[in-house]
Amino acid sequence: MLNIDCPWCGKRHETEFHYGGEAHIARPEDPAKLEDTEWAEFLFMRTNTKGYFAERWLHSHGCRRWFNVIRNTVTHDIVGSYKMGEKPPKLPKRTGDAK
Amino acid sequence: MAETPWITPAAAIAESFPDGLKELGPRVQVNLRGDVTDSTFVNAVKTATGLDLPDAPNKVAAGKECKALWLSPDEWLLVGEGEAASLVQSLEEALSGQYVAINDVSANRTIFEISGPYCHQVLMKSSEVDFHPRAFAPGNCVQTLIAKSQAIVEQVGREMFHIYVRNSFSRYAGAWLAEALVEYSETS
Ligand SMILES: [Zn+2]
Repeated sequence: MLNIDCPWCGKRHETEFHYGGEAHIARPEDPAKLEDTEWAEFLFMRTNTKGYFAERWLHSHGCRRWFNVIRNTVTHDIVGSYKMGEKPPKLPKRTGDAK
Repeated sequence: MAETPWITPAAAIAESFPDGLKELGPRVQVNLRGDVTDSTFVNAVKTATGLDLPDAPNKVAAGKECKALWLSPDEWLLVGEGEAASLVQSLEEALSGQYVAINDVSANRTIFEISGPYCHQVLMKSSEVDFHPRAFAPGNCVQTLIAKSQAIVEQVGREMFHIYVRNSFSRYAGAWLAEALVEYSETS
């Protein structure tokens, strides 16, 4: 089980959270102007990162805030959390490196 | 309005609760949302309720008539005795024209009071949150899962907690807490 650091509530158990997929995917400025393939690209296509990955989590059973987490998809190592709009923490050098 | 009796699903089993666990009677519970960085909002709430809204996460601020539990960066649960309608009214008057939300949620949750030497152990069995005295103290509250159902836990005394549970989960949560309390009382 993961211990996830909510930027407001602090470290809590994974069961209090919901996963929200890849972070930092900007909604197109003018969706009506997009081709279907471009819209599908925005909706469905995600990077399948092996290693450190920026992802969204929701503290659904706590403060009900969305925030971002940098987590290693191989080792589950969590580098840190940051609020929406904040800059991500620095990534470790190589996949799987200890902090 | 006609008086509606306060009956929750937990009432069916509350009579058989062990010492140290009880279901409290109805409390005024009002959910308040607003911008804590806006002094107009904070001052108006202070005028209406006497409360200094806690801006630190998971803290409780006590006032004369009611207290405020931090729920999220812009959300508090005001808990007190008396009439929800009058608290809502005084908040609405003080905050009129501001970008806020004031909702009477008194019937949303029932409150269990758990007390005595085993209350910490019962909570440790029920949740992943660290309720040890070195990490948690009177005046703290958290929203978390108690035996997998969403709850607000507030420490009100050195060996006393209030657990706010949605009414529809109250029979389950009450039975869980009762069972856990008996377990520790009998093995100690
Ligand atoms: Zn949180």
